[in-house]
Amino acid sequence: MDRRDFLTALFQSGRLRPNSFARPELSADQSLAPYPQPLTLTDAYHLLRRLSFGPTHAVAQQLVGKTAQEAVDLVLGVGQSDPAVDPPGPWVDQSTENPSGADPDTRRAIEAWWRSIFHELQQWWVERMRTETLPVSEKIILFWHGHFTTEFTYENGYIPPQLLYRQYLMFRRNRLGSFPAFVEDFTLDGAELIYLGGELNTKGIPNENYAREMMELFTMGVGWYTEGDVKEAARVLTGWRVAKFNDEPAPKGIYEVYFDPAAHDTGAKQVLGVTIPARDPNENTEYLVRRDEVRRLIHILMETRPQQVSQFIARKIYRFFVYSNPDYDAPVLAALSETFRNADFELLPVFRTLFASKHFFDPAVRGIQIKTPPEFVVGLLRQLDIPWNEAASIVTALGQELYDPPTVAGWDGYRTWINTVSYPARVEFARQIIESLTDAHLYQWAQKFPSFASDVDSFATEIELFFLPQSISEQRHQYYVSILLQGAPSYEWSQIAQDQQAVALRLRNLLIAMAKAPDFQLC
Amino acid sequence: MKRRRFLQISGGTIAGAAATHWIGKLPLYASSPLHKLTRKALELDTTLVVIQLFGGNDGLNTIIPAEDPRYYQLRPNLAVPKEEAVRFGSSDVFLHPALVNGVYKNGLYRLIDNGWLAVVQGIGYDHPNLSHFRSTDIWLSGINSSDPNVRLNSGWLGRFFTHIYPDFPLLLPEHPLCIQVGGTPSLLFRSPKGDVAITLTDPEKFLESGNLSPDAEPLDEDSLFAQEYNYVLSIAQEANQYAEVIQQAFDNGRNVVEYDGGFPQQLRLVARLISGGLKTKVYLVYLSSFDTHVQQQDEPGSGAHPALLRALSTGISQFMDDLVQQGIADNVIGMTISEFGRRPYENNSRGTDHGAASVQLVFGTSVRGGVYGNNPDLENLNENGDLVYQYDYRRVYAEILQTWFGGTPEDVEAVLQQRILPLSILNPPTSLQLDTAAASVQHFRVLPQPSNGPFTVELHLRHPATVDIAIYSLLGRYVTTITRAALPAGIHRFQGFLQHSGEYICVCRLNNRRNLTKTLIIQR
Repeated sequence: MDRRDFLTALFQSGRLRPNSFARPELSADQSLAPYPQPLTLTDAYHLLRRLSFGPTHAVAQQLVGKTAQEAVDLVLGVGQSDPAVDPPGPWVDQSTENPSGADPDTRRAIEAWWRSIFHELQQWWVERMRTETLPVSEKIILFWHGHFTTEFTYENGYIPPQLLYRQYLMFRRNRLGSFPAFVEDFTLDGAELIYLGGELNTKGIPNENYAREMMELFTMGVGWYTEGDVKEAARVLTGWRVAKFNDEPAPKGIYEVYFDPAAHDTGAKQVLGVTIPARDPNENTEYLVRRDEVRRLIHILMETRPQQVSQFIARKIYRFFVYSNPDYDAPVLAALSETFRNADFELLPVFRTLFASKHFFDPAVRGIQIKTPPEFVVGLLRQLDIPWNEAASIVTALGQELYDPPTVAGWDGYRTWINTVSYPARVEFARQIIESLTDAHLYQWAQKFPSFASDVDSFATEIELFFLPQSISEQRHQYYVSILLQGAPSYEWSQIAQDQQAVALRLRNLLIAMAKAPDFQLC
Repeated sequence: MKRRRFLQISGGTIAGAAATHWIGKLPLYASSPLHKLTRKALELDTTLVVIQLFGGNDGLNTIIPAEDPRYYQLRPNLAVPKEEAVRFGSSDVFLHPALVNGVYKNGLYRLIDNGWLAVVQGIGYDHPNLSHFRSTDIWLSGINSSDPNVRLNSGWLGRFFTHIYPDFPLLLPEHPLCIQVGGTPSLLFRSPKGDVAITLTDPEKFLESGNLSPDAEPLDEDSLFAQEYNYVLSIAQEANQYAEVIQQAFDNGRNVVEYDGGFPQQLRLVARLISGGLKTKVYLVYLSSFDTHVQQQDEPGSGAHPALLRALSTGISQFMDDLVQQGIADNVIGMTISEFGRRPYENNSRGTDHGAASVQLVFGTSVRGGVYGNNPDLENLNENGDLVYQYDYRRVYAEILQTWFGGTPEDVEAVLQQRILPLSILNPPTSLQLDTAAASVQHFRVLPQPSNGPFTVELHLRHPATVDIAIYSLLGRYVTTITRAALPAGIHRFQGFLQHSGEYICVCRLNNRRNLTKTLIIQR
C-alpha cells in the first residue's frame, strides 16, 4: 500500500476527514504563453510582490501599460549590465590570523569582530532589498542563497563574513546565467568549501559531505544516485582549499580558492555510470582538474539526469516565486522543466517565460504565498518608505537569519513561517513600525495615492490594493473607510485631508487594523 | 545481510525476564494493557517529551563498545579509550564520559542506576536513507519510504491525535495537544487536518495578536487563496485561545532545580508547564549540530560532540530531578530521536560521515530501565559500511501509542500503516495498571523449539477470553495471524507453519488488553 492508498483508505474509513484543508485543483491557466494584456497597476503590484520585496509607487508606474514580456525584462534587467556593488565596509578585504591557533583573548576578539561585521553584512543586504529600483535582483539572490546554502555559524565555528560577501557577489553574477556554471562556481566557492567540508576533502579518506548535498540538495534531489556515486563524486572533488587567514598559505591571495595537487585523488572515478579517467601526475593541475573533473562531474549530473535536474530546479523556482505548498505540483511545472532543458540549463529563459506567462498572471495564483520574514519586514518598510536599522535582527527574530539558515537544506518555507510565536510577533512588529511613523512622514506618504485629497472611498481602495494581494469584501472595505472617517460623513474627507495630524492619526489606525488581517501575511 | 543473534535464549521459558533484564536480553515477557476506548487516551495524564538531536547523533560514541577491538581499529582518532569510558556496573555497557563526568548528579549514570533509563541499541530501519532530510522525515512521519516519489507529509503524532480526537480542529481542546519549544512547525505534528501543535519559546512573549478585523471569518470559497488565508487565520485564533492557559500554567508552575544555560533551558520550560498543570500530551525540544563530519572530538571529554552529549545529559538529569523532587515524574517520559547514527569508521577530517543504525534513549520513572539489544556488531556491516539495525524505530513509537497513550493495536496500525509490535520498555501509567487478565492464563508456549517449519501454540486459559495470536518477525514486523477467537476455559492448541528460517516472536493478546510473548525459532 503506498502513501496515497493509505490516506485514501483512511479518508474512506472516515477516520481522517480532510475538511478545511482540502486541496482544490489549482484552477489557474496552466499555459506558459505570454500574458496578452498590457499590465494594469494591480498586475504590476503582483509582479513586484513576487520578484521584489513589495511594490513601490515609482517602480509600479514604470510597468503599467507595458506588455508582460516588456515589464518582466525591465524587472529582470535583461540586456542591461549590473551596476557595480558598493561593499558593506572596508572589512571585506581585511583578514586575520587563524583564531583557533591563537591565544584565547585574540580568538575571542576575532570572533567578536566577525559577529559584528556579519551583522553589518546582513543589515547591508536588507537595506539593498528595501531600496532597490529597476532592475531588481535581491529576491533572486535570496532564492539562490536558500538553495546553495552556507551557514555563518556552522558545526565547527564561524565562516569569515568576507567569504560570505564574496559568495553573495558570486550569486549575483550567476543568478540568471548558466546553471552548470553556477554549480561549478558554488562547488569551488570559498565559504562553501569550509561549510561542507570540501577544504578537508583529501585523497585517501574523502569527506563526502559536499558530494552528497551536491546531488541531493543542489541539483537533482534525493533518490536518483547511489551511495557509491556519492563516494566517487567526493573523490572527484578532492584537493580544493581556501585561503582564509593571513598566517596560512594563500597562493592566489587572501579569500581565494586554490588547488593542492597532493590532496587530489588522481585515480579513475565512476559517477552515475560514467567514467572520469585516471590522471597523469603531470596533468594534476588546477586548470585541468577543474575543467576535466569538476566541470565534467557537473555535466555528468546534467547529462545523465536531465529530467530530474530540470524538474528539481524548476520546481524549486516555482515554489519560491509562485506557490510554496510542497505537496502540490502544478501541471505547468512539466512545461517549465522542459523550457529549462531546451535552454541547455540556462536560467534566464526560465525566469523570462515564467513571469511573463498567463499562468503567473492568473488571479488564482495571486495572494497565495505566505510572506517570508524578509518579505514581511522589508516589504512593510519598503512600502512605508522608512528605513529601520534593526530590520535584519527582526527578520532573524521572525525565523529567517540571513546567511545562517537552520540546515544545509535552507528554510522549509511555506506555512512553517507562520506559527503561534511568529504570527503575533509579526503583528506586533508592524504595530511598532506604524506607530513610530511621524505625522509628517505619513502625510507625505498619503499624497502619493492619487485619490488621497479627493475621495475617501477610492483612497481606501488604493491602500487596500497596495497592501493586500486580492480584493476584499465590501463589508471589510467599509470598515476600513469608517476608520478613516471616524464618524464624519464622507463628503467631509477633503477637509480632513488638509489636516496633517488628523490624517496621520487615521492612517495609523487603518494600517494597524490592516496589519492584523490574515491576508496582510500573504503576497 | 547477516545479523548477529542478539536474543539469548536460555532454555525453554524466559518469563522471568526481570532478573535478566540487562544487556542483550530482550525482555520477552511483555505486558501492554490497553484501553478499549481510545478517547480514554485524552483523559490520561501522560506526557511525552521528544528530544530531537538534529544532524545524526554518533551512537557509537554515545554508548561505547569499549570491549570490541574493532571499534578501536575503525576509529584511531575518535575512539574513547576503555579506561575513560564509564562502565555501568559490571555490564558491558559503557557511557561516553561526557554523559557522566562533571554533569549534574552524574547525568545519565544516575538515571541508569535508578532504573530510569532504557537504552535501545541498534535502532533504525530497512534500507537506511543517508539524507538528513529524508531520514528525518522518515523518523518524524513514522513511515519508512526511501522512494523519492512518496511524499512524507504528516507525522505519526499528528495522525495519532487527529485519529483519536476526530473533532480536531473544529473543536480545539482546552489545552494545546502538543507544544514545540522553538523552531518552525514540525512534520511530527502535521496531519491532513492541520497541525496539532503550537510553537512556544517564551510564555511571557506568547502574545495575543489582539482582535482581528470584524470580518475575520474563514473564507468560504474553494481557492488556494482561501486555503492560505484560512490557515493564517487559524494560527491567529490558536495564538489568542492558548495565550491564557499557557500563561496560567507558567505562573502556577515552578522549577525546584537550577538548570544550566542553553539546551537545558528548554526542558526547564517544559517542567514548569507540566508543574503548572498544563495537560499537553507531547513536548518537542531540539538539540542541533550533531552533523559531526569535521573535528568531532578533541580529547574524549572535550570537543564538539562531547559538548553536545554533556548538554543532553545535563538537561535530562536536571529535568528528571526537578520532576522527581516535585513528585510529578511518574506520568512523564522522554525520548531522543535522531535521523541516523554515524559511519563506524572515521573520516580524514577527524569526524564521521552519515551512517545508519544508532542508539535511542528513553527516560522516566515509568520506564523499564535497562539496555535493549546488543552492542553493535562491527564485523557485519551493511554494503555501505554502516551498522545494521536491531530494532525498527517504530517499535518504540508503537509502545508509546499503546502503553503510554492508551491506543489500541488498531489505532497503531492506522497511524503507522503496519502492524508493529511494541517494544516493551514502559510500565503503563498508574491509571491503567488495574488489569487482572494475567491471572487467567495458566501457561502459554510454542513448541517445538527449534522447529523446522510446523509448530504448535499451546494456551491454557483459566477463564473464557477473546484471544488473538499472531507471529511477528524479530524486528517487530507483522508476519501472520494464528487465530483470533473467543475461547472457553481449558487447554487450546493451534498449528502454525513458517517457511523461512529465522527467529520470530509469537504474541498472544487477551481480551484486547494484555500481550504475552514467546520466541519461536525456525531452522530449515
